[in-house]
Amino acid sequence: MTKDPFSDKWSSKRWTVKRTLGIGLAVALLVGVAAAIYFGQGGGEEPARLQTVRGVIGSEKLAFFADQRVQDVFAKHGLKVEVDPAGSRQIATATDLTSYDFAFPSSAPAAEKIQRDRKAARTYAPFSSPMVIATFDPIVDLLTKAGVVNSGPGYQTFDVQAYLDLAAKGTRWDQLPGNSSYAARKNLLVTTTDPRDSNSAAMYLAITSFVANGGVVSSQEAEAKVLPAVSKLFLDQGYTQSSTEGPFEDYLSAGMGKTPLVLAYEAQFVDRVVRGDSTIRPDMKLLYPAPTVLSKHTLVPLREPGDRVGQLLTSDAELGRLAATFGFRTADPRHFTDVVKEKNLTVPQTIVDVVEPPAHETLERMLEAIAKQY
Amino acid sequence: MIRRLVPALAVVALLAGCSDDPDPSRPVGDAAPGVLRVLAGSELADLQPVLDEAARATGVSVKFSFTGTIEGAEKVASGSAEQGFDAVWFSSNRYLELVPEAQKRLGTPARVMSSPVVLGLPAAKVKELGWDGRRVGWAEIAEAAGARKFTYGMTDPSVSNSGFSALVGVAAALSGSGAALDTARINAVAPQLKQFFSAQALSAGSSGWLSEAYAKRSRGEGVAVDGLINYESVLLSLNATLPEPLTLIYPNDGVVTADYPLTLLTSATSEAREAHRKLSDHLRSPDVQRRIMDITHRRPAVPQVQPDAKFAVKDLVELPFPGSQSAVDGLITTYFDQLRRPSRTLYVLDTSGSMQGDRIEGLRQALVGLTGADQSLAGKFNRFHGREQVTLLPFNNSALPPLKYEVPADDPRPVLDQIRTTATSLDAGGGTAIYSSLRGGYDVLRAQIDADPDRFTSVVLMTDGENTGSEDFDDFQRFHAGLPQHLKDIPIFPVLFGESATAEMDQVAKMSGGKVFDARSRSLSDAFKEIRGYQ
Repeated sequence: MTKDPFSDKWSSKRWTVKRTLGIGLAVALLVGVAAAIYFGQGGGEEPARLQTVRGVIGSEKLAFFADQRVQDVFAKHGLKVEVDPAGSRQIATATDLTSYDFAFPSSAPAAEKIQRDRKAARTYAPFSSPMVIATFDPIVDLLTKAGVVNSGPGYQTFDVQAYLDLAAKGTRWDQLPGNSSYAARKNLLVTTTDPRDSNSAAMYLAITSFVANGGVVSSQEAEAKVLPAVSKLFLDQGYTQSSTEGPFEDYLSAGMGKTPLVLAYEAQFVDRVVRGDSTIRPDMKLLYPAPTVLSKHTLVPLREPGDRVGQLLTSDAELGRLAATFGFRTADPRHFTDVVKEKNLTVPQTIVDVVEPPAHETLERMLEAIAKQY
Repeated sequence: MIRRLVPALAVVALLAGCSDDPDPSRPVGDAAPGVLRVLAGSELADLQPVLDEAARATGVSVKFSFTGTIEGAEKVASGSAEQGFDAVWFSSNRYLELVPEAQKRLGTPARVMSSPVVLGLPAAKVKELGWDGRRVGWAEIAEAAGARKFTYGMTDPSVSNSGFSALVGVAAALSGSGAALDTARINAVAPQLKQFFSAQALSAGSSGWLSEAYAKRSRGEGVAVDGLINYESVLLSLNATLPEPLTLIYPNDGVVTADYPLTLLTSATSEAREAHRKLSDHLRSPDVQRRIMDITHRRPAVPQVQPDAKFAVKDLVELPFPGSQSAVDGLITTYFDQLRRPSRTLYVLDTSGSMQGDRIEGLRQALVGLTGADQSLAGKFNRFHGREQVTLLPFNNSALPPLKYEVPADDPRPVLDQIRTTATSLDAGGGTAIYSSLRGGYDVLRAQIDADPDRFTSVVLMTDGENTGSEDFDDFQRFHAGLPQHLKDIPIFPVLFGESATAEMDQVAKMSGGKVFDARSRSLSDAFKEIRGYQ
């Protein structure tokens, strides 16, 4: 780096002035605030003192925590919950957790790691959501012809094995026979988040590695066997976003051109339908991967106030009902069933083809191996 | 304290007054309540009316400091952005997220709007190419460009996102594999890319200057360029001012889209977090989204608001973006060293007595910085490129002998070292014969152009004072007016430094279709680096 002595002189002078000015302003503002406090106390009631609790959460729960009704329930219990959204693996690996009272990633494996690292005594799993693929009618038609989409038990399924076969050959959309509705010159790939820092991508790896291996991956040989095929599903996408809200928002606003197939939590889709804000159009469809995995949203308390949040989410019926309106399948299934009935949702009560994710270490090792190839 | 403050403020006011181009990357001060300090891409400037309204509605005002995407990524990665800023706001976070040290410092993003990078051509040209009424792909566009059936302007991909997006888009589309680019795929597609870039007739360091230059040329000031590659939003805004509006070509195999995420830094205080949340909620509310769409011609970011009819193609295929920093950096390096038309740059440099001391040292360092000594991310890309012809023409009482170099594409190091040696041995002494020396520069260029016409040619004129030579500005103006068209159109980029004659330098830039760069309130290095985007 080269430096010009003149410019340094000028800029440091500017800084000095701004700093001095900054102090002056701060003093003026302090006086103003003090005056406001003084005059503001003229006979109003003492507001209830709420304890602030800070958490870092998987981004798909942001809307839930931001909801006024949810905040009101917490306030009734003396809490004000402030949250920062982040990718779930990022929470488990990169984020500095010292300023937080709880971590609330979107999967059991990520929570498992945080619990171990931080030596937390216990965890709470108040709700879950199956992984789904959100798409559009023309894509459903194309993939039905290609043998990837099938009619399942009351819902449409996405045949992961058939998809892996197409992806292995590097099939482009415009190479599908009889495709006039989406002739894009890019590979037929489900849009996911970045496997290096997001939970939903790890869940996707759990699904695809299960299929590529013909069962849960539980040995180093099996890892080596499935890695080439599953790595390709991520690497060929190129850049991917780090948080699941990103690609799902692309799906909703930029549409089929940008995101023909997006991996999502069922809750993201249901939440939008319940909101009735017309963002889910009639041509938008949900497919359930066969098999799929459940994302178990798991809260790890890091300090005492965080533990209270975990308790409330698990035991408070009002919070349970609210969670269901945000699309989550609740620990007490009645809440979710009520919402499905009330809003006349076309989601299955139960999903039959669900598999378990690999052990935390196995999943991490595979994710590391994929990360190295970027 | 107050009394001391007043004269200091006056000094700042004076300083600001004498510069017509205030440093856009100035620091924005310490944290203050209700203020969000944002390191941003300069194209966000057009959002100011919306931000003024937002400040009234939310009590949160935005203070911008502008920088390029790659320089910004570097500031975030090094942690220096955290010292003066609460948030970053670029046309995309893609590059930032590929740099691990930057990625981990990024907090909550809120996407505010979007705009794809597309090609704009006059309707008559579209018809002539047989493209009206049908969609074409990048391969067909590249073929027509390779046959020089049209020319276009595009920004420098290392400093401006629109050029960067175009480069990524055309490379991804031409590779035909349908998967994201890696180094092997970039090399395989190099010949077609070279064809495509052979039609690039204009380069610029910013989208704004590029469209201004285009508009001027289409009014007959300088050689006309057929089309522009730029954001859809910039082309739509430009169309309101053009006698013949551009038809927007949306390649059917895909585009790369900017999505403008207003992104909190993880270091932000809870006040700044709250300010970011309030502002994001406001900007993403349906009414504000419609307002943004109306005044900036960018597409809405929230699904509740439908894009309106001015966006001719709604459902755009998004091309895959590379997944690693090495692939992106490799693509940019390949662009400069192999793909684009090579540059020819002439530096007319004041080495008169007034340059003695710190000034001549600043000049030496500015040149050395362009020989690869600058190890920063941005510095890597703005060094003298492979195939570039570089001529240094120092002057004092008259022009000294020109020092000519050509940087080889394969092994640039030895020639870059020679330039560095020459630069460090520049000495100051004698008078300031600006205009006779500048005139002499055209003799050098004429010979070089005759031997090899197909290059981006430009002149940098650096002087720190008034002309003392016998030829004055009027003489040069007459000389310039009499030049043949191809020499007259060579842009001159004067650098204001020391006691430069501002008015004359403005004239020189204007008559040649160039641009003035100010090095009075920052280093010569910074100015020289910024000029690289236009060479």
